[in-house]
Amino acid sequence: MTATSTPSPTQIDSSCRLPLFTLFSGAAVWLVLSSVFGLAASMTFHKPDMFADCAVGTYGRAYPAWSHLLVYGFAIPSGLGVGLWLLARLGRVEVAKPFLIAVGAKLWHLGVLVGLVAIMNGQTSGYEWFELPRYAAVILFLAFVLMAIWVFVTYTRRNEEALYPSQWFVLASLFWFPWIFSTATLLLQIFPVRGVVQSSVAWWFSGNLLNVWLTLSGLAATFYLLPKLTNRPLQSHYLAMFVFWTVLIFGTWTGIPMHSPLPAWMSTLSSAATVMMIVPMLAVGSIVFLTTIGAKTDCRGGSLCFSKFGVLSFNLATLAAAIAACPAVARVTDFTWFAHGHTTLRLYGFFAMTMFAAIYHILPRVSGVEICPRRTKSHFWLAMIGTLLLAVPMIIGGIKQGLKLADVSAPFLDSTKAAMLGFRIGTLGEVLIAIGALIFLANVLLSILSHYRAIAKTAFADATAIQPAEVKL
Amino acid sequence: MNADPKQPCSATNEAEPTATTTAMPVWLLSLMVTLLFLSAWYFDLYGGWFEPKVYAPYRSIAHVDGLQPRKSGEEWRSRGKVLYESNCALCHNPDGAGKPSQGPPLAGSEWVLTTGANRLIHIPLVGLAGPIKVKGQDWNLNMAAMGAMYTDQQLADLLSYVRNAWGNKAPVVTAEQVKQARVEIGNRSQAYTADELMKIAE
Amino acid sequence: MKSSSTVFLAAFIALSASWAGFVLVPQLQLGRADQAETVPSKDKYPIARPGLAAQGAEVYRSLGCVYCHSQQVGQQGVTVEVVLLDAGTNATTTLTAIGKVKLELNKPETLTGLPKQIAQVDDIAGSDALVKAITGVGGKVEVNVIPTGADISRGWGKRRTVAQDYIFDSVVQPGTRRAGPDLANVGSRLADPNWQLNHLYAPKSTVKDSTMPAYRFLFEKRKIGKIPSADALKLTGDSAPLAGYEIVPTEKAHALVAYLLSLRADAPLWESPVTPPPAAAPATNSVAAK
Repeated sequence: MTATSTPSPTQIDSSCRLPLFTLFSGAAVWLVLSSVFGLAASMTFHKPDMFADCAVGTYGRAYPAWSHLLVYGFAIPSGLGVGLWLLARLGRVEVAKPFLIAVGAKLWHLGVLVGLVAIMNGQTSGYEWFELPRYAAVILFLAFVLMAIWVFVTYTRRNEEALYPSQWFVLASLFWFPWIFSTATLLLQIFPVRGVVQSSVAWWFSGNLLNVWLTLSGLAATFYLLPKLTNRPLQSHYLAMFVFWTVLIFGTWTGIPMHSPLPAWMSTLSSAATVMMIVPMLAVGSIVFLTTIGAKTDCRGGSLCFSKFGVLSFNLATLAAAIAACPAVARVTDFTWFAHGHTTLRLYGFFAMTMFAAIYHILPRVSGVEICPRRTKSHFWLAMIGTLLLAVPMIIGGIKQGLKLADVSAPFLDSTKAAMLGFRIGTLGEVLIAIGALIFLANVLLSILSHYRAIAKTAFADATAIQPAEVKL
Repeated sequence: MNADPKQPCSATNEAEPTATTTAMPVWLLSLMVTLLFLSAWYFDLYGGWFEPKVYAPYRSIAHVDGLQPRKSGEEWRSRGKVLYESNCALCHNPDGAGKPSQGPPLAGSEWVLTTGANRLIHIPLVGLAGPIKVKGQDWNLNMAAMGAMYTDQQLADLLSYVRNAWGNKAPVVTAEQVKQARVEIGNRSQAYTADELMKIAE
Repeated sequence: MKSSSTVFLAAFIALSASWAGFVLVPQLQLGRADQAETVPSKDKYPIARPGLAAQGAEVYRSLGCVYCHSQQVGQQGVTVEVVLLDAGTNATTTLTAIGKVKLELNKPETLTGLPKQIAQVDDIAGSDALVKAITGVGGKVEVNVIPTGADISRGWGKRRTVAQDYIFDSVVQPGTRRAGPDLANVGSRLADPNWQLNHLYAPKSTVKDSTMPAYRFLFEKRKIGKIPSADALKLTGDSAPLAGYEIVPTEKAHALVAYLLSLRADAPLWESPVTPPPAAAPATNSVAAK
């Protein structure tokens, strides 16, 4: 590369190789493990006494393990990795200090592991979506900051001045996570606040994590992939800016449920914000519709399929959350599996699928190795059907459960039984998602292994090639 | 698969996506403004205007204030009833009729219906043991200082209730009177006998 | 947007606004709360949990009970009841006086089956006229504030839970799911420690068709020694151990049950008014004012 020329996409991809391999391989492993814990958790509803003698498998430990691994093990590393690649490619610049980012990634995965062991041992913090104990949280924070700094430096060294929408989203997500995570760690674990302020901070954190951070990271990938894969320009820059501002301004106030031991003003603000999220949802829908309409691209089970299903899930999940925030509905759906259903739809349906789309797009470019399209297609079908089988029965089961809970003449157990069919189908969905996760892991690991095997092969061939000069006539 | 790992599968100079500069649709902006207006209206109705002491379903401080109990002077009735039923009713029966070999009746009892309440107050504060005649019947039991753990106000409420329930009608007991009785009792822990009780002023 | 500064500015504005709203302001409003007085008896509320119950809170947290059980009571409304206790000496005078305030009550049925509720109003002020009328003719009346709602109808509490109920909890876990019943007042609703222990060991033995998992690892199965342990669970049927064995709760089980029995939130507070009910147990877990 000369002093004035920008690096080619190939060079940029090569520079991303080490951090992305580290981030994505770890993420894939954690995804599989989280599915295992998810299955264990769901077994509680079919065979409650299965873990009567074993604390680790009980719902109270398997469920936080599932959510910890899904969010901190899979979602954040893959989001960060995809964001790094997007900034590098869109800025037409090679990654700054890839080795340090890879070190940060390894430190992050260590923190996830420490958190997992602590949760299995019962040292959960007790806050949903933030179950890891203080020491693990500190490790994760330091790891994220280490990575985020060099990702940002990569951005500052960019050769392409104009910013594409995806870049705003990635930059905002780099800024968002350290602030919300450090606040949560400080005010919940290190200098705990008193009383229900804990709940307020915990709900603020989880709302920002699930409704803002995941949205920023997922939309960054979506706004890149959809135009790219359909060969159309993104429609439009201003709509994307509108999405950006509305997600930031409204999304950050979501998180506090209607039923809470907090003063009325807090849950009212949060409910209003959750309903306002319909606005960015419709904007995203418009962007996707206008960008892809008429495009004659067949997705064939590849990245485009994942991405389209991701957007659909995002819209459905946001709509479900907005409906559930209306007081008349909340009276029925609060405290039921409804929230778990639409959160699952958001995590698996929107974020995970979008990450799969992005990773299946990025990994072949970075490793130089094609991923078997048949395996990718199987993964797509398994993940999509699995997600629908998991989320939709939970949403419906939650409504049925809520109706029974609201009917005070019905005994309490009727409400749990009303959701039972939802659990049965949901477990089937978990199984499909678990198999899909295994395929994803296989795809990622095989990519990486094939890459290094090919290098080894070339090196070996170079080393053992007969030099013409050796032949003496 | 490519033999050269440094060569990606796709084009070496693939173009990055671009964005058009089409203007934002107006309907989206109008929808946002409408929803904002509805949210503001909702907050006005249900948000309690940032008051930390207003919890749903209450709408305002005035609303909660309007539900605070009046100082009507009759609270001892419900408070005393609660206290009685949690502790005394076990032996004296919830309707004050007493239980044989557990506790003598309080309804219509001359020990309860004295004009001045002082003697009555001493009984739960210290206890009563040995033979005693209640409503013409002989009783010989052992009552512990069941009222010692109560505050002055609580015991006053309790005794006021006892003196005015089940057809009883007698002046209420005040916290001051209980305090005075405690001073008179001092350190005594030995339960009273009926004779000792009669020596205490009414 | 042209540069990262705009992006960071947008992010900073948005995040600091919600940080101020949901972290800073709640801390200022609620985070320095200390014991408050109940209304009207001015008892101190709440009291911190004693040692074993505090340990039990840690067991509750480590077992992840919050993922199935909530600890907050909701409320949809409130009614103010006027209860006639005593009709006074002259029934006719009383009925006339009542009738002047509420015409429809001027009939003999109003005075039968006392004490009984004769009117429902929106707030205490709405009952003033009736109370004055009745006490004026020598009758006795009381006015009760009764919160209403699905949770309250289910017996899960007498009033909604508020911030004051949680100020001494080490980790506040109001919960967002009810796979199992709400536990905010389980200490008054299910006050028998033996029931609680049996329920943890074998839920189906205490609640028919219960879906709660068994927590046998909180207990120890021992051979019965010379005499059975005082602590041993009294189990019958399928859940009883084999002859010659007994089930004894471990420290953790005792702590957890102590914690559960300490869960009550029915003291009447200014922000969550309720008339102390004539329940079988003392109304609150508040400390009496001296």
